[in-house]
Amino acid sequence: MLVVKNLVKRFNSTLAVDNLSFSVDPGKIFGLLGPNGAGKTTTLRTILNIIKPSSGEIIFNQKPITYDYYNLIGYLPEERGLYKRSKVIDVLKYFAALKNVNKKDAVQLADIWLKKLNILNYREKKIDQLSKGNQQKVQLIAAIIHNPLLLILDEPFTGFDPINQQEVKNLILSFLSEGKTIILSTHQMDLAEKLCEEILLINDGKEVCAGKLSNIKKRFSGNNIRLGFKENGISLKEFPEIVKFDTYSNYTDIQLRDDIIPSHFLKKLIEKIEVHHFSVIEPTLNRIFIDLIKDDIHK
Amino acid sequence: MMKKIIAIARWEFLEKVKTKTFLISLIITPLLIISFSVLPSLLFRQEAPRVEVIGVIDTSGIYFDNLEKELEKYVLPDGQNNYVLINLTQPNLDIEELKKISDNKVLKNLLEGYLIIQTTSNDSVFAEYRSNAFGNFEIVGRLEEAINSVRIAQILQREGMKTNIISQIQDRPVVHQKKIEKEGKVSDLDFLTTFFLSIVFILLLMMMVIYSGQLLVRSIIEEKSSRLIEMLVSSSTPDELLAGKVLGLSLLGLTQIAIWALIGLGLVGTALVPLNAFRNVLPMLIYFILGFLFYTTLFVGIGSAVNTEQQAQQITTYLSLILMLPVVIAMPVIQNPDFIVTKIFSYIPLTIPTVMVLRLNVQNVSNFEILLTILILVLSIIISIKISAKIFRIGILSYGNKLSLKEIFNWLKE
Repeated sequence: MLVVKNLVKRFNSTLAVDNLSFSVDPGKIFGLLGPNGAGKTTTLRTILNIIKPSSGEIIFNQKPITYDYYNLIGYLPEERGLYKRSKVIDVLKYFAALKNVNKKDAVQLADIWLKKLNILNYREKKIDQLSKGNQQKVQLIAAIIHNPLLLILDEPFTGFDPINQQEVKNLILSFLSEGKTIILSTHQMDLAEKLCEEILLINDGKEVCAGKLSNIKKRFSGNNIRLGFKENGISLKEFPEIVKFDTYSNYTDIQLRDDIIPSHFLKKLIEKIEVHHFSVIEPTLNRIFIDLIKDDIHK
Repeated sequence: MMKKIIAIARWEFLEKVKTKTFLISLIITPLLIISFSVLPSLLFRQEAPRVEVIGVIDTSGIYFDNLEKELEKYVLPDGQNNYVLINLTQPNLDIEELKKISDNKVLKNLLEGYLIIQTTSNDSVFAEYRSNAFGNFEIVGRLEEAINSVRIAQILQREGMKTNIISQIQDRPVVHQKKIEKEGKVSDLDFLTTFFLSIVFILLLMMMVIYSGQLLVRSIIEEKSSRLIEMLVSSSTPDELLAGKVLGLSLLGLTQIAIWALIGLGLVGTALVPLNAFRNVLPMLIYFILGFLFYTTLFVGIGSAVNTEQQAQQITTYLSLILMLPVVIAMPVIQNPDFIVTKIFSYIPLTIPTVMVLRLNVQNVSNFEILLTILILVLSIIISIKISAKIFRIGILSYGNKLSLKEIFNWLKE
């Protein structure tokens, strides 16, 4: 488990990270979200022990950061690049060596991963002979070859086509079952929505919103449902649970009173009308993100 | 700790050794050095000795025989006379016509050149040597000497001096130059050898520093611009990274030197470089390695503050200019090793390695001075590493535009 307590990072006069606290459980993906320049990279760099915090604590598995910590973390930076004129296998061996993996294991692990990501036939090729997507795969392998306990991925999906995105997503999900702690930083809200269990949204180095994604969504949902039913003369106005509704050609969007639980309401509905569609409408993370950041700026 | 430094050094070394640039510089640099060091000594060395035919127009008629006698003392290794004189004087022709005929002979390469000697009424001599090239200093010098000694002999004879006294006067002593060694040994390395040897050393150091320094700066810039640096510093400390890079690229430079040294030994075999030129090998080696480390750490500090190849180019140019300083002062140092400015330069870290090597070759430097300068150099390296490492630590993560000195100064205070 990674615990960050009251993290502050000051560069001369600017406050890049302003008193952030959060914790990340193993086996879960934690989403660190925020607009450009919000302080995500600085936060990640302090967690990575690349820069020292001005104040605050970072504790991993009950221990403060020490030298050995370097070998436990894996990092995929947002902007990609590798040694263009070097061979794939040599680059992977080098990054494994930097994480204290011995040479024999490094070659074995490299081959396993190259095979898993379908690029084993590029093993002896120079990096600049590979397509951009394949180069990124090599970099991803370089970040995880030492089997890190804490994995920090900054925009892991950019530059991949949909098929490769799927491959990378499956890879990341497979790490969860191994009990790794994963921090994901991204702008792609749809992916964050699918992958992250918990999120921290920051702006100007400050926390804007944090917690379980499901709770956050509930907080912003306003108890809305979408209903499709067969017209039989009963008006929706007869239900006291409904605050307001909008009828479209195929369905009706309904806002329920806050104290009403949608599934209880469904039971009551079924007795009176023939329902062919019922869903709880959740606001997308994208929507929440935009609303929250806009609010924050207006404050 | 050490493990990662070695891994980084290994990577830097192996990846650079495999490149074409390394191979090219491996071949081109010694070619340059050889042309710098051997060519001058070849040029200054006399051409393969051969018999030279020289004409003489002697209107007085008294010089020709005496000159011939005087020049007989220059003998080729095979026993032949170095110079054969031909009398071109023809009493029935006037001097201008004679010149025309003789010029033709020179142009046809029948003669090396010819000498015109004319005496005036008041006993002074006008002499002119005509040939198809300027700069035959040796022959002109010898002719001059011969004419003078003939003239002096004649004047003295006329005044009634005995012949044996005249020859005694003419026998001029020559000053030989020797350098006293520590154990009372004597060395007769000449000035030119010392000078070129020292220049070779300085060139070698400069080339290695510039070459390795540029590699270093380029490798940092490559990692910075591809953001690879972030993956690296999340795997090892910046200090390890710095140490690994310096170690790996220094080894690369040393590999080159080693290969070149083998070439150099080959040269010793052919006696182009005198073996006894390598007397102060140990202190020279120490100065070389320390000087290299000092300059390299400076390069790292400055190199990690820049972001683009162009900025790096600018800065390495400035550094290379600083490196030129020792070459500028090399000549005065050799000529005047005890001069106060020379002494001052031999205590300034930037010029210690070169000036001290120059001094080692031309005078006897006390062990105390050697130890003191080495100590200064070691201290400078430690300070330079500390400062460079600090700039490196922050510089590698700053991708902004050109950095101001003020900003770098702020980093140092942090």
